Amino acid sequence: MSSRWEALQHQSFLECNARQRATALVDPDTFTELAGPRDRLSSPHLPVLGEAIQFDDGIVTGVGLIGRKPIFIASQEGRFIGGAVGEVHGAKLVNIVRLARESFDGMTAKGNLPEERRPAVVLSVDTGGVRLHEANAGLLAHAELIDQFQDCKGKVPVVCLIGGKVGCFGGMGFIAAAADIIIMSQNGRLGLTGPEVIEEEMGKEEFDSSDRSLVYRTTGGKHRYIMRDCNFLAADSIAAFRAALRDALALPYAALDAQRRIGSLEKVEEQLKLVDLCVKLAPKDSKDVWKYAGNEDPGALVDMTLDTFLKQVKRLSVA
Amino acid sequence: MEKLIGKGRAAIDMVVDRGTLEEGVVGELTVSDKEFGPGAVIGTALLAGEPCTVIAIDAMKRNRKFSVVYAGIIGLEEAYKMALAVYHSIKADEHKPLARKRPLILIVDTPGNGPGKLEEIFGMNKATGAYQLALAEARKKGHPIVALVIGRAISGAFLCHGLQADHILSLGPQFGTLVHVMPLTSIARITKLDIEWLQELAKDNPVFAAGPDYFFRLGGIEELLDSIDAMRERVIAHVADVRRRKAEGKEEELGPWGRGLLGEVRGGRRVRAKVMQVMNDEFAAVADRYLS
Repeated sequence: MSSRWEALQHQSFLECNARQRATALVDPDTFTELAGPRDRLSSPHLPVLGEAIQFDDGIVTGVGLIGRKPIFIASQEGRFIGGAVGEVHGAKLVNIVRLARESFDGMTAKGNLPEERRPAVVLSVDTGGVRLHEANAGLLAHAELIDQFQDCKGKVPVVCLIGGKVGCFGGMGFIAAAADIIIMSQNGRLGLTGPEVIEEEMGKEEFDSSDRSLVYRTTGGKHRYIMRDCNFLAADSIAAFRAALRDALALPYAALDAQRRIGSLEKVEEQLKLVDLCVKLAPKDSKDVWKYAGNEDPGALVDMTLDTFLKQVKRLSVA
Repeated sequence: MEKLIGKGRAAIDMVVDRGTLEEGVVGELTVSDKEFGPGAVIGTALLAGEPCTVIAIDAMKRNRKFSVVYAGIIGLEEAYKMALAVYHSIKADEHKPLARKRPLILIVDTPGNGPGKLEEIFGMNKATGAYQLALAEARKKGHPIVALVIGRAISGAFLCHGLQADHILSLGPQFGTLVHVMPLTSIARITKLDIEWLQELAKDNPVFAAGPDYFFRLGGIEELLDSIDAMRERVIAHVADVRRRKAEGKEEELGPWGRGLLGEVRGGRRVRAKVMQVMNDEFAAVADRYLS
């Protein structure tokens, strides 16, 4: 076992870069990067605007193994233009999902595929969505991603990991929601509209985007866990994310599929009950919803250690 | 020049067989609550004598329950309402042959997804994601989906309502149609790039410029229309064309993937295919290690 891989396990998921995450989430010495920096597939659009490029366009894509299971992984680099999706970045993201599904089709064509060999897609997300410098191409890539996700349904599970500095916003916010499983850390944030835009729309009295605590209460990992928007809440280390990922992928496909938030008529009807609750409750703050879920002292959840939180928290249920 | 921005209901009447829209009804679904997602118009109509599902935006309606949902913005209720219309279309035609799966006609005029606090707390991302997954499923189950942009098709809202269609048509820019992620002025502010320089560059760089004509060059829109009178005939023609391709097993020419191929043909997105090819080749060289 490589000592570099071993050392990475103990590092903060938040602090690691995209390549470290991709390499260390799968089993040691199994990661092969596809369309890596050596291929120099950088954005042709950034230089036109006088902007710096990266040879991987801010995303690491490749294949590895967890046990005998092929893992098709894409890992976004939040430090490069906020992990934003442009033409090259988007094409890599789309194609890693497609490669997973094609591999599944190829393997099943050869005969019975045991669960432990079923390929999976893992997306380590750290992005605000579309890259404005090549906005139109980025937008179109988002649509392709949903299309590929739907092709995966019934075949290949898709897992999103959210624990980076940028979080998961914009169009990637609904792409993550469309995955089978979401694993977050407390540092992870998931939403659609960024805090600044909400402030612009609603006014500073309603939503002060500089209030970090408010932002985390509204979009952070703990809130998403209470809302059942994320399935697992992990500590901020590569090892913790990897363990959660391994546990999730050990589930049979049907059990994985059942953890989705959306993707069927029944799930939509379930979500509509939440919307009714939203109207009925008219919460002023996420804490009002936490209280409704059965947490007597919602404020105490904010600073609770992860272990205590997981032991004590009541998750929202409208069933 | 007549414009259709804000006139989603009028546009429905111009496209479907006159007076045939049965609002709120799709298969077994009946939505009678007028306050439920009022900005989303769903229903069943006839198109050239054949039943179709209509999903449109009524920008004149305001959702009294959600303060940020007005003027065509898609909120939580609106997105789920549209998703319901799609799932009930699929259900209604579950046992019908491919040639008789009802078309879905999307009339697009929306500036965004609900950008509010309630929306974030409860997950606007799920609502818009749910509608997109529903459309993708309907498309893959053989329903022809044709989107028609009559006004605004902006960023995440266009992804939600439009970009999952098999084919997308848009009235040309002379009708005031707005298709973009952000206007150039906002791009300039956020990227800190000079606006005049951006405007100059935008003339021959469709990847960030705003407008349906630029999306056309990227393959993001199949056809631009230069007359309102042509809408009905072109929608009917595209439904037939989409249906024919599905019957021939050419699904990959349709939807987001088809538009990816079109982006290369039209020259707007040339690196996409190259990147994918490199990945495929590199994976083929190591595939045995992972798959066997």
